[in-house]
Amino acid sequence: MAVTIAIPGIMRLVYIKTPDEVLAVNDSSVIERSLSGRGGLVHRALASKLEVFRTLEGDIWPAFRDRLDPMRVAHQRALDEALADRGMLLQRLAPEISELASYIRSGRSHRIPGLVVQQAVGRLFFPDYAATEESYEAARTLQTWLSAGPLRSRMLKRSGTLQRALDHIMELSRGNMSCAHATALAMDNIVKSIHLMRKLARSTDNLAMLGTQDAVARTLRAPARIIREARDGTNIGSIRLRARSLVMLSVEAARCKRPDPGFGFFSSSSWNRCPAHALVPALLAEIWREAKTDTGGRA
Amino acid sequence: MSRQNDGLEFHPTLLQRFLDALYRLINRFVVWHRLPTLLAAVNLGVFRERLRAHNLYHAGYGIPESSDWSPGKERWRSADGSFNSLDHPRMGMAGARFGRNFPLIECVPDSGDALLDPSPRLISCELLARRTFIPATTLNLLAAAWIQFETHNWFSHGLPEAGNEFKVPLSNGDDWPDPIDGCMHIRRTIPDVTAREVWLGATPTFCNTNSHWWDAGQLYGSNRARQMQIRSGTDGMINLGADQMLPEDPRYPGIDLTGFNDNWWIGLSLLHNLFAREHNTICSALKQRYPTLDDEELFQRARLINAALIAKIHTVEWTPGILAHPALDFGMHANWSGVASRVMRAVLGKNSEAAYGIVGSLTDQHSAPYALTEEFTAVYRLHPLIPDNLKVRTLNGLPEATYDFLHVQGWHTRELMQKHGFNNLLYSFGTANPGAIRLHNYPNFLRKFEKIDQPLMDVAAIDIMRDRERGVPRYNRFRELVGKPRLQRFEQITSIPGAAAKMHEIYKGNIDRVDLLVGLLSEDLPQGFGFSDTAFRIFILMASRRLKSDRFFTDDFRSEIYTEFGMDWIRNNGMKSILLRHVPQLGPALEGVNNPFAPWNVL
Repeated sequence: MAVTIAIPGIMRLVYIKTPDEVLAVNDSSVIERSLSGRGGLVHRALASKLEVFRTLEGDIWPAFRDRLDPMRVAHQRALDEALADRGMLLQRLAPEISELASYIRSGRSHRIPGLVVQQAVGRLFFPDYAATEESYEAARTLQTWLSAGPLRSRMLKRSGTLQRALDHIMELSRGNMSCAHATALAMDNIVKSIHLMRKLARSTDNLAMLGTQDAVARTLRAPARIIREARDGTNIGSIRLRARSLVMLSVEAARCKRPDPGFGFFSSSSWNRCPAHALVPALLAEIWREAKTDTGGRA
Repeated sequence: MSRQNDGLEFHPTLLQRFLDALYRLINRFVVWHRLPTLLAAVNLGVFRERLRAHNLYHAGYGIPESSDWSPGKERWRSADGSFNSLDHPRMGMAGARFGRNFPLIECVPDSGDALLDPSPRLISCELLARRTFIPATTLNLLAAAWIQFETHNWFSHGLPEAGNEFKVPLSNGDDWPDPIDGCMHIRRTIPDVTAREVWLGATPTFCNTNSHWWDAGQLYGSNRARQMQIRSGTDGMINLGADQMLPEDPRYPGIDLTGFNDNWWIGLSLLHNLFAREHNTICSALKQRYPTLDDEELFQRARLINAALIAKIHTVEWTPGILAHPALDFGMHANWSGVASRVMRAVLGKNSEAAYGIVGSLTDQHSAPYALTEEFTAVYRLHPLIPDNLKVRTLNGLPEATYDFLHVQGWHTRELMQKHGFNNLLYSFGTANPGAIRLHNYPNFLRKFEKIDQPLMDVAAIDIMRDRERGVPRYNRFRELVGKPRLQRFEQITSIPGAAAKMHEIYKGNIDRVDLLVGLLSEDLPQGFGFSDTAFRIFILMASRRLKSDRFFTDDFRSEIYTEFGMDWIRNNGMKSILLRHVPQLGPALEGVNNPFAPWNVL
């Protein structure tokens, strides 16, 4: 059931967390990804947060492009094709898979797991992508920017930390915005999954007993929340959206209620399906499998 | 903004900021048209500045630079409109993209089935179709012809081609005579196939086949080849027959050969012939005063003068005619020549548009490169102006004849002109009323219209679809984006009996789905207005912009370019003097008529 919070001049937010409603709103033609900034102070603040992902040439990261944007379609198609050969890609990631598997098994790692995930994700785009502590920190900064309150946001912006992070990520991604998005924002869900796998592995016998599919199902995570805007008033099922409402889709909360592993990737949707919808579960499965394999006779 | 808008930014003055804040407060209590005339006129100026700051968006040029250019040509208008701005030579040229009045992310069409919801055919039948003719009693039919004459100067999206049509399902009982699989097909606007800039996002772009400038391109064409086709090659004149009428277009029998002759009908033919004659008169007078000028120089100078005269007539005669509000009358005259107050001129200074007029002031593009916009084309959907019939009156007392409109357009045009004559037809237009721009007043012949080289069309349904496919926001959001509040109930839009209930039914209670055209046609009007206040907001912005952005109306509106004779000609002439110069027999009909777009005397 949708919850509406309306404070005149400040915001009108509709919070949606049931799976069917999340899917219905996501598919509605009147709900947009881009934010106009109209409707209240919070609306303006959120719109300005997204604007930092626009380059000097006016290009914006693909995940913030609208449904009918031909460049979004082109990016999605290109990435779908690039990520289609999962076998080859997983082979390319063998060192990172091994390192993450070791972390899951032992809890020890030479590098921060998140950094290894970032490198693995980056290598889906460029085989020689090399993540560093600085690049991981840059990704964390961008993730923080999206969820930070006004004071923190201001500090990040005024101090130049935000711009340095953006520049660093873009440089490492060689201007490829899909890569930038994947290595800065999207990878956070995989990092969460890795930590959950480690948690699972710490419990007795889980590593030996739990099959890869079960492990993946239990650790796969969706983005916690995504934000949309209703430009005009509309009714979607029983949800009434007034014009200029911000719509917060609690994807992770909805995913918990829906056993479908593709839910978090909008894999049933034709327009904003994550191009990595098949690759991420396969990657996690491979990591768990390798972690299991190395347990050997101790199981 | 600067990135998308090619580096152009709007910089309000301190006085503008102050007035903006003051009028925000005043308008909380009083709408602009209820203020005393002078305060209302200032209010319009404040609106214009606000719109200049927030409602101009560049959509890219979508065209390479013109190759038809050489030094020296900057003295006159190029055929395709290029090099009007010498810094941005592609700005406003024929083939360049339409701009936008709203942020690009607001100009995204609905996707999927929502694009056809509700059915444009249903809207055509239930809300737009004329039941009985509602006349606009303060105007004559020349005012209707005039606006089409002008829009043919400003824009054309080109003739739609077959393939990938919208398929609009027909309801049971719909009498559409040409259904295909139970649907009415509507051809799409010709797509823009040029490379898209990355910042355009999901906003669709379309190209203007005409030059965007107010350059009388309807008479002179928007490319050099067309221009040469209409010229006589002697003394700068336009080619006219022995009867002083335009010749026939060899490609389209029954239609005159002129710069732009799409959607041809007798009203356009009258105005094209009138201003072709005016062009030749200007050429003769120029030749007499400046005997050394050659054919090219005479043609180009006469074009500048004629185009400025047309712009002046539109600004100080047509607009106050259709928007008969005292503040508008004051404002439009101020736009052209400034206020006639020495004190205000002294206070505001010589660079003030308000004091001295836009014409002759400094060129300014404000916050985006000049281009006409999709929203501008949307608010110019004024088809209800067309009546069902034309009564042809005669100046010499011969019997009258009445024609339905199908027989005064297309290939019937020249035949009708030859039969009744230029003078009688002008007189007939001056003494007939156009339709009021209201709901339930869309001419029915246009709802079942056969146009040359096109399939059977319901133009009313097409008008609805055009706004939707081009991503023009629907009525309520359009209001919001031009600075008016969104409405919550259908009854707030209109007091036309039964209209609110009908709209509620068709739009299933969702006021935000009301199409722009429906909202504009149903909106209750300010006193004296011929069309809606919402559409008017775009006019406030774009009417001034057509002048202010154009080098030939601003920096180069001077005698070195126009000649001393030209400046005098523009200053001393108007629609009435042109009519009387070319058809002196209209004298009694025009006697005592202040505005030539108001009804004339019936003799």
